Amino acid sequence: MKRTRKVSRRSFLAATGVAVSAPYLIPARALARAGRPGANDRITVAVVGVGGMGGGHLREFLRLRRRGEVNVAAVCDVDETRLEKALKMSGRGVEPYRDYRYILERKDVDAVLFATPDHWHGVQTVHAAEMGKHVYVEKPACCTIEEGKAMIAAANKNKVSVQVGSQGRSQPEAYLAHRYLVNEVIGKVDKVACFHYDSPIDENPVPDSDPPPELDWDMWLGPLPWRPYNQNGCHGVFRWFLESGGGQIRDRGAHVMSCAMWWMGADGTGPVSVEATGTPPHIGLWDSAVTMDVTYEFKNPDWTMTWNQHTGNAVPAEERREGEAAIGRPGYGAVYHGDRDTFTHWGGDGGTWAERKCREWEPPPGAKDVYRSPGHKEDWFNGIRTGAKTIMNIEAAVGVANLCILGNLSYILGRKLYWDQRKMEIVGDEQARRMMSRPQRHPYHL
Amino acid sequence: MSVTKELDVSIRGAFGATSPGVSDRPASAALENLLSDIQGSDPHVRTKAWQAAGEVGAVAVQPLAKVAEEGEMEVSRAAKRAMWQIVRYAGRPDGDGKEKDAVVSELVALLSTSLSVPVRREVVRMLSEIGGNESVSAISSLLSHSNLREDARMALERIPGDESLEALKIALNSVPQDFKPNVAQSLRARGVEVEGIPCRKLVPTKQTNVKPLAAR
Repeated sequence: MKRTRKVSRRSFLAATGVAVSAPYLIPARALARAGRPGANDRITVAVVGVGGMGGGHLREFLRLRRRGEVNVAAVCDVDETRLEKALKMSGRGVEPYRDYRYILERKDVDAVLFATPDHWHGVQTVHAAEMGKHVYVEKPACCTIEEGKAMIAAANKNKVSVQVGSQGRSQPEAYLAHRYLVNEVIGKVDKVACFHYDSPIDENPVPDSDPPPELDWDMWLGPLPWRPYNQNGCHGVFRWFLESGGGQIRDRGAHVMSCAMWWMGADGTGPVSVEATGTPPHIGLWDSAVTMDVTYEFKNPDWTMTWNQHTGNAVPAEERREGEAAIGRPGYGAVYHGDRDTFTHWGGDGGTWAERKCREWEPPPGAKDVYRSPGHKEDWFNGIRTGAKTIMNIEAAVGVANLCILGNLSYILGRKLYWDQRKMEIVGDEQARRMMSRPQRHPYHL
Repeated sequence: MSVTKELDVSIRGAFGATSPGVSDRPASAALENLLSDIQGSDPHVRTKAWQAAGEVGAVAVQPLAKVAEEGEMEVSRAAKRAMWQIVRYAGRPDGDGKEKDAVVSELVALLSTSLSVPVRREVVRMLSEIGGNESVSAISSLLSHSNLREDARMALERIPGDESLEALKIALNSVPQDFKPNVAQSLRARGVEVEGIPCRKLVPTKQTNVKPLAAR
């Protein structure tokens, strides 16, 4: 916390009863108006889950720390090898934890970033909100419909700012695409066809085994029903389990469909029906669909979104780029079908690439403009400071996650599902309705 | 004797009689093909077999459980997936209620067998999706099983109706002290206020062995 306000670190610590020798930092919110840091205050953050994505987020926070924009108070992981590495990267003054709930108890932490496996997102977001922490949680927001409802309720009740990591919305070319579509350059869009390459297969299955000594397997599993450790079923590859990552549709669907809902002005809406088919892996531990086709029907306004997960998608020659601008995610994106033309983008996460004609489009006088994100974290910081809705706020993110969840449920059940968006419920299918939630292991629950 | 008939006899010998209307049914060609394909060596054939298991129905539940118990890793996995297909097919909204009842009955019967914990755990989870009042008693009896009680508790939480709720209320007074918070969690999830057993979800318990850099 920068000493830019009238309360000094020492007087604050004395007033709050914290020992002066403790390494803890003053939360930014302590020095600004109730619950929110001021514009010039450093926000004190912690990172929970410091593996692949979390390691990247931590590096970004350390960069922001060097610029005096944030304090990094703590890192947390259930894998001590990863934790040790993150601690060394962070330097002195950063506390290591295995159990994120210790961080939630710390009064000096304003905000927590969760880059944990997907099955933890709902529970940790709810817990953090209940402890008054602002949250950045990786996408997809949730694994079940009921988790999503609980996340929205907890964030609103506790007035915390939540940003979900579908950062495609904050990319420069996402802004261009949004503006292009809002101005109806391709006419009225009535179909968005999302495409993605297929999910991988566990080609070399191995038997279950004891977890490695550095890993707290119980805590890694957290809310999930118990299952034995398997080296093909932990870090990173949790994505290929229906109960945790949910396959490509939930991993990347949470990006591509996020862009679609944002650009179509459809946040807060949902489909009336979802129908999926797919092919399962022929071998191995993973069970998410290898190929998949899902159709979502929206009403009032009427439009269709499809998710088509197959091999063979590529960037046409006329859209290829060189160097740093090269399309780094050629295998996925979406085609928007308007009544005058089509528009394609690739990627949709940290890399989002819009078709050339969109990038070259000059808005005429009187054209509509759209929100241009200053960056996904910066947009979150703004939300923390002002209470403004973040670009991927929890309501929007749950709406997108629900699309992914419903697609998988339809695939699992082998039948069309009907959805009541107002109630956020599946209708007319008792079994599917039960699958809107999943009991969670004690004590890792909502 | 065919693979199917061999399994049929051994299962009924090991696990006793099954539900009326199912136990007397002759092993069908569909069941025989299903079991044969699942136990075969071609993973693609195996996958097609478990995908098509739904329509084979209740009659396949117990033979598949035995394959899940005894089969080689990939065969066992395919057998479990076939059982799940049956559960999902039986639970379809336009399905025959009797068919679903028969599947539930077969699953309930498996809970009191000597099948391994992993297989019975899977069965409890299946019942949590389609089981009703008829499955509550058998699931409740597992609340005293040290390795299955958490799955049983979660299944009772998920199965709607007064009987599962009542079973959880009774369990709160009968389970060992260390398991009471788990049952209290389920009761709270079902909208019941529980006093005297604080919720532990926000209580940190796990210490890391990694020391802060300054402390080294």
